[in-house]
This record gives sequence, structure tokens and C-alpha cells, in this order.
Amino acid sequence: MTGFGSKTFTDPEDYRIRLAGAEVGFVVTGRPSFDTQLSWIELSCLRLLAIREKAPRVAFVSLPSALLTISFSLACNDLLMWNGLGLHRASLVLHAPGERFHQRATGAVRWGLITVSPHDLAHYSRVLLGADRSQHAAGLLHPSARSAAELRRLHAQAAHLAHTKPALLTRPEVARALEQDLIHALVTALGSAAPDRRSCLRSRRSAIMARFEEALAAQNGAPSLPALCAAIGVPERTLRLHCAELLGCSPIEYARLRRLNRARSTLLRADHRATSVAEVARAHGFAEPGRFAVAYRALFGEAPLATLLRPPAVSAESA
Amino acid sequence: MPQVRVFAFTDPDAYQERIRASNAAILTSGRGEFRASLAHVTFDRLWMQWGYDSLPRIARTTLDPGRAILMFLADSEQPATQIGGREMANDNLVVYGRGSTNIVRTDASTRWASMSLDHAELLAAGKAIAGREVVCPSDTYLVAPPPLVLTQLKAIHALAVKLAKAAPEILLAPAAARALEQQAKHAMVACLTGDRPAERRWLPGQHARIVNRFLEFLEIRPDEPVYLAEICAAIGASERTLRTCCQEVLGVGPVRYLWLRRMYLARQALLHADALAATVTEIATAHGFWELGRFSVEYRGLFGESPSESLRRKISA
Repeated sequence: MTGFGSKTFTDPEDYRIRLAGAEVGFVVTGRPSFDTQLSWIELSCLRLLAIREKAPRVAFVSLPSALLTISFSLACNDLLMWNGLGLHRASLVLHAPGERFHQRATGAVRWGLITVSPHDLAHYSRVLLGADRSQHAAGLLHPSARSAAELRRLHAQAAHLAHTKPALLTRPEVARALEQDLIHALVTALGSAAPDRRSCLRSRRSAIMARFEEALAAQNGAPSLPALCAAIGVPERTLRLHCAELLGCSPIEYARLRRLNRARSTLLRADHRATSVAEVARAHGFAEPGRFAVAYRALFGEAPLATLLRPPAVSAESA
Repeated sequence: MPQVRVFAFTDPDAYQERIRASNAAILTSGRGEFRASLAHVTFDRLWMQWGYDSLPRIARTTLDPGRAILMFLADSEQPATQIGGREMANDNLVVYGRGSTNIVRTDASTRWASMSLDHAELLAAGKAIAGREVVCPSDTYLVAPPPLVLTQLKAIHALAVKLAKAAPEILLAPAAARALEQQAKHAMVACLTGDRPAERRWLPGQHARIVNRFLEFLEIRPDEPVYLAEICAAIGASERTLRTCCQEVLGVGPVRYLWLRRMYLARQALLHADALAATVTEIATAHGFWELGRFSVEYRGLFGESPSESLRRKISA
């Protein structure tokens, strides 16, 4: 049997709960405001997600350790980046189980995600490609244009089906056909793929950036760059370079955006009768409520008080 | 006294069921209306069969182990035909292995002919006519017999079929029938003994063996859609290997073949379904076509009519 559905989110907190067992921290970095549509299909050994996002943002993702994840862009633009490398239309990222990485969207993006157990992928790769060609290295991959296009097409069609004709997906034969078509396309694409030489240099970089995230999570207020660098164990220059490349801004700017996002999340959930904007601002390291309000409005397009007074958003769901 | 039967078909399933001395599974692979006809002429010991089918097709045939069977093309204009992955020309003759399984592929409408004897009678005829034992081989081979010998065989066969269709009463006269059967036996023995054994091309080749396993797997699942990964796992060949073999023997890759087969099964289901109770969506999805728009377009491209037209049309058997 399959599970499927689609849902629109305006709150990153709600959205991240849905992401295939992955732990995701979102930092919205600009306008328009967060508005994301997620469609999902669970088949017997594959799980598909199709995501449409409007807001530019940085996501720090910790993948589940039991699954392999494949991500790819569904749009024609190059606005989606994995660890600072742009995902072109014909590229895939094969994520290792438990991988931690930064994914950045510099504008409205559409992207897809497939998760599969390493055991199942190995089985189907061996069966379809033969034992000698069934090993895939994780990282950014460039499959043949044709196989990448076929995988993207099937993925988009499946998501479309979940959206427009969900009743069809309850038929076992449809679920089976869909899954077999997707497995074939996935294995063919992975089998045809050449690894991107740049991706092997990324593991050290992403390890440093993961420590950066840990260091940020460990402190509540506004961090100082020397303190961050000491906690991570890298020179300032290195951290600056990596942040520019993976996040598109300086470490301190990222920390500030991250705190603004946290503050928004708190405001969205807080009861306005019991909480004040100033309290929330202070709790996230903004000593001056006035400057907080200005920065907040610049990023999210509304005053913090408006967020606090807003009744809890009801996300639209169909499943 | 000989028996004569002539049939006409529009349904490939009905056609394949009537083909004698063999168990055939036919998959049409080209667009257009299917038409077929079949003629059986049954003499005392010798059987003749003549068939016509209008569309390119792939047939996997398992032969009656009780008979020695020769097959050849009945139309001198016949375009390319392949057996077991090898090109078969007009001056070729196929000598089927005893109880063998063969894959025959045609790229256009085909007229074919076959002639068979039971093994005991072949042995007796060999001794009487050629003065030696003639036995049916265990593997199929393709050969170009001396032109005169093959021409003779074809002429006798053509005469019998012509009479069967136009003037069966002549065939039914015992004396004429006996004479024709004797001549046919002579021609058969001449074909089996007149060639140079070194020139025999043995079938199936390595590739056709793998394709045979592939088709065998499908055959025991006659009505269900099957996907490539399941097949590769079951027959232990990778997609690449299977692709090379299928391209050579079937003329299409395995993915395309499986797709054709599902299309064909869906078409048979549409044609035989009750138009009031069944829907195109139901039948398409039951055969693994989940992209319905695409299914309709491809169905029309392949069969020249829309799925709903097929559903409304009652097949005339």
C-alpha cells in the first residue's frame, strides 16, 4: 500500500517535520515569505517528495542513517545548491546515509527527493546493471542527459498524480508500475552517472560547516567570530570562505539571520497575552527591540508584533 | 482420406491457438489491423500447414516433440524474417529440433509454410527413398538446400494449399492425395539429406538462449504485467546483457518488449471487455499504465485507434 498527499506550509517548523525522517533547520534569507508546497508518495521501497518553494533560504540537513537519499532540481534554473555546488537540470546528488549538508536556494525552486534503503538500491543496481557496475559513489553526479530527464519526468508525473488523481495511487498495480518505472529510471541514471570531481573536496568543507552549525546551536545570544572559530577549530579566513561559498553570506550575518528565523518561529507559536516582542527578541540575542523590529520587518515583510498577534496558521493539506 | 481446413482470424490469440503441431505465443509489434489466415492439409501421415499474418510480430513457438517439422517462407517477396536471432532468407529452410523452442520475428506481413511427419514415418521414408536413416535433429538448424530441391518442396506445398483453398474436392480424391503425399515425402527427405551438414546454422545462438529464458519467464505469467528488474533477477542477466540479446533476437530492447507486451495485453483486455462494465482507466492501470494521457497517445500510435474505440468495438472472432 502507498501513502501519499500534498500540503502547503507557511511555517518552516511544520514543514521540516514532514521531510522524510531528515532533521532540517531552515534559515529564510530574504523575501518573499516562506511558502512551500510538498507532495509525497510512499511506495514499498521508495519514498518520493516533490517540493515547490518560494522563499530564498538555507537548509542545514541531517539525513537519517538508515536510508540513501537522492536529490535533484526539477526546475530549469540553477538556484538550488548542494554544499555550494549548483544543481543543474541534469545533475543528481546521491547523499550518503547520515550525511549532513547545507542546501541553499537563492530564489523560487522546485526540487525532488527520493529515499531508498541502501539494501534495496544495491539489489536493483546489481540486478539491472550487473555486479560490476552496481557501485555508486555518493556526491554530485552527472548522469546521461536522457536518463536524468526520464527520472525527472517520472518523478514529476508521479507528484502530479498524487495531486490530481490520488485515487489511482491506491490501486496496487499502479503503485507497483510506478515504483518499477522509477526504480528503473533511478538505477539507470545512477549507472550512467559520472561523479563531479569537485564533490570529493566537499566532505571536509561540509564537516567544518556542520561544526559551525553545532557551535551556533550551542549558544543563544549573538556570537563573536573568534569564539565561533575557536569552537570549530578553524581560522577565521577558512570559516569566512566556506560560509560565503555554502551559505552566500558571512558567518555573523548567517548567525543573525538564523536568530531572526528562530525568533519568528517563537513568535508564531507564542501566546500574545503571555509574551511580548521584546522578550522574544532578548531571548534570541537582540538587545534592542527597535533594531530587532526593523531587521525583522526587512526580512519577513511584517512587524514582529503582527506575527505575534496572528492566529496560528492553518496549513492546507490534502491526503 | 486427407482433411482440409481453412481459417481466417482477426484475433492473434485465436490464430496462435489454431497453429498445428506447435504451441505458439505471438506478440504483434506493428501498427494496423491484424488479419491472419491458416490452412491445414492433413494427409495420411504427412501434415502441411500454410499461414499468413498481416503485422510484424514476434512468435515464440514450442514444437510438438512427436513430429519432424520443416518450415520455409511461402512468399518469394517476403521481407526480412529472423529465427533464433539469425536472418532467414527465401532460399532457406528451417529444420526444427525435436520439441525445440524457437523465436521467429517478422518485420512485415508474412506468408509461411510448414510440413511435418511423425518420426517413425520419417525413418521409414528415409530408408525407402534415400536408403539411409533420416532423423529429426535435437536442435533447430537453418540451411540453404540445393535450389532445385527446395523449389520442388515449395511447389508441392503451394499446389496442395492452392487446391485446399480453391478446389478441395480434388485433394479429397484418394489417388490424388496419395500421389501428392508421396511427392511431398520425397521432397522432405531430399531436403533433409541433400544439404551439406557443414553449412547448417544451428539455433538458437547464445543470445537467443538468453532471450528464450526471458520469454519463458513471461509466458508463465500470461496476463500480468512484468517489469524489468523482476526479470533480470529471475534469469540472472543484467539489463545490458539482456538488451544486447533482445535487440538481436527480438529487434527491440527488453524495456520496449515488455512495454509492447503490456500494450498488447491491455489491447486484448479492451477488446474482450464488456464496454458497459469496464473502463479504459481500469484496464490501463491494471496493466501498469499509470500515465493515462501518455497511454492513450501511445496506444493510438501503436494500434491506430484510441483505447476507448477498442473498448466499444466487439471483436469479431
